[in-house]
Amino acid sequence: MSATGFTGIVVVVLFVGLMIFFSIINKDRKTPLIRPIPAFDKINQEINVSVEDGTQLHVSLGRGGVSGPESAAGLAGLSILKQVIEKSSMCDYPPVGSTGNPVLSILAQDMIRGSSKAVSVSALHKHPSGELIGVTPFSYAAGTLTTIRDDTVSANVHTGWFGNEIIWLTTAGERQSSPTIAGTAELPAQAVIYASASDPLIGEELYAAGAYMGAGKMHEASISAQDVIRWIIIGIILVGVLLNLFGINTNIEGILAG
Amino acid sequence: MKIKIKAPISTAIAIGVGIIVLAGYFIPSMDSIRFILLRTGLVLAAVALLVGIINLATVHIKKMGSESENSGYSLILLISLLVTLVIGVIDMVQTYLIGQPNFQMTNWVFTYIQLPIETSLLAVTTISLIYAAANILRKRMNMFSISFFFVTLLVLLGSFSIPPATIPFLQVLRDWILRVPALAGARGLLLGIALGTITTGVRILIGTDRPYGG
Repeated sequence: MSATGFTGIVVVVLFVGLMIFFSIINKDRKTPLIRPIPAFDKINQEINVSVEDGTQLHVSLGRGGVSGPESAAGLAGLSILKQVIEKSSMCDYPPVGSTGNPVLSILAQDMIRGSSKAVSVSALHKHPSGELIGVTPFSYAAGTLTTIRDDTVSANVHTGWFGNEIIWLTTAGERQSSPTIAGTAELPAQAVIYASASDPLIGEELYAAGAYMGAGKMHEASISAQDVIRWIIIGIILVGVLLNLFGINTNIEGILAG
Repeated sequence: MKIKIKAPISTAIAIGVGIIVLAGYFIPSMDSIRFILLRTGLVLAAVALLVGIINLATVHIKKMGSESENSGYSLILLISLLVTLVIGVIDMVQTYLIGQPNFQMTNWVFTYIQLPIETSLLAVTTISLIYAAANILRKRMNMFSISFFFVTLLVLLGSFSIPPATIPFLQVLRDWILRVPALAGARGLLLGIALGTITTGVRILIGTDRPYGG
């Protein structure tokens, strides 16, 4: 086994261990110890609005598949969709989903149908949901605009893998005066989201939805585990800077190089 | 006929396959199993594309029947889909008959229809991005938005290459912004995204997060 492989296993085992540890020590805690993220408060607020008004939430999942580097963003988007469906169980209509990836489309449709049945949502479809809108960035963005412009959609949640085309979706939401919560893993698109969405999710906030939307103790524990690893990384970076400052790093590099 | 795999079985399959694929990255002896599973996944993804297109066509056929104001767009989409499909099939048949690749008509559609449309849309995107950057102070007047706006402005000014507008100081400042604070910020965000990605993956592997309907 290579050094990289060994490091990978250590990181995964460390993550699992920390998650189990934090889920045990925070078992009896009523409120999670996490910093507030306004975008998630907004999603919860908009779910309540949609229940009261009999409107729908639109969750667009982007173009990420399940097998590439963009998969985690797509899966995080699906996780948010699941939470939105479960939380809007009192709503007349389930949320409407849209994707730009065929695999994600099948997963979203399965989730909407399955969860809608589980929470006994009265009407299954006001709009067709979870459909594949388009497989290229612009065809997906252009196709999603009709859903955003629909009067029965009260808010838009764009979470998944998007490129710069997300500007179309965020500005369309703004023109409709409907709140837009957006997050992606692609860096240039994050800048676009920050400038154009009413409630942006920056960096790793996209992956923390479960902890903020009441998905369970393990989700909260995963956020704590992530923070511990983050501090370890910060420590390693600082030690690296100090070593570099005192010129010790060249000696270490020499030892590592044999 | 409805085929429904019970949740515990689908969850067990997903977790098992996930663990084997992950182990394949770390343990060289499991590489071959990882490749077999990934290849199977790719074939399934291709089938999913076919299912997605059939689903898309079905949805738009239904939309055409309803009294929706967008039914005209649905008709255009279906005609385009059908025409492109027919052209693709004709090209494939010709390729088979000639015995060498011949995708002239498909290439024509992409070069003279899709490419100009996508280029135009890219231009519209540029305008929308400028509008969004200019609009940010109206939307959120805080320290971060103000710095976002002025940094964007400085980088744009430093990018001018037409002689009267070129100011050496601005170009130096632009290079420094891109090389130091922007790069540092991007690395910080990437570290956060990497941690988030690992967390999501671990949650799925241990079955806490099941975004596959299980």
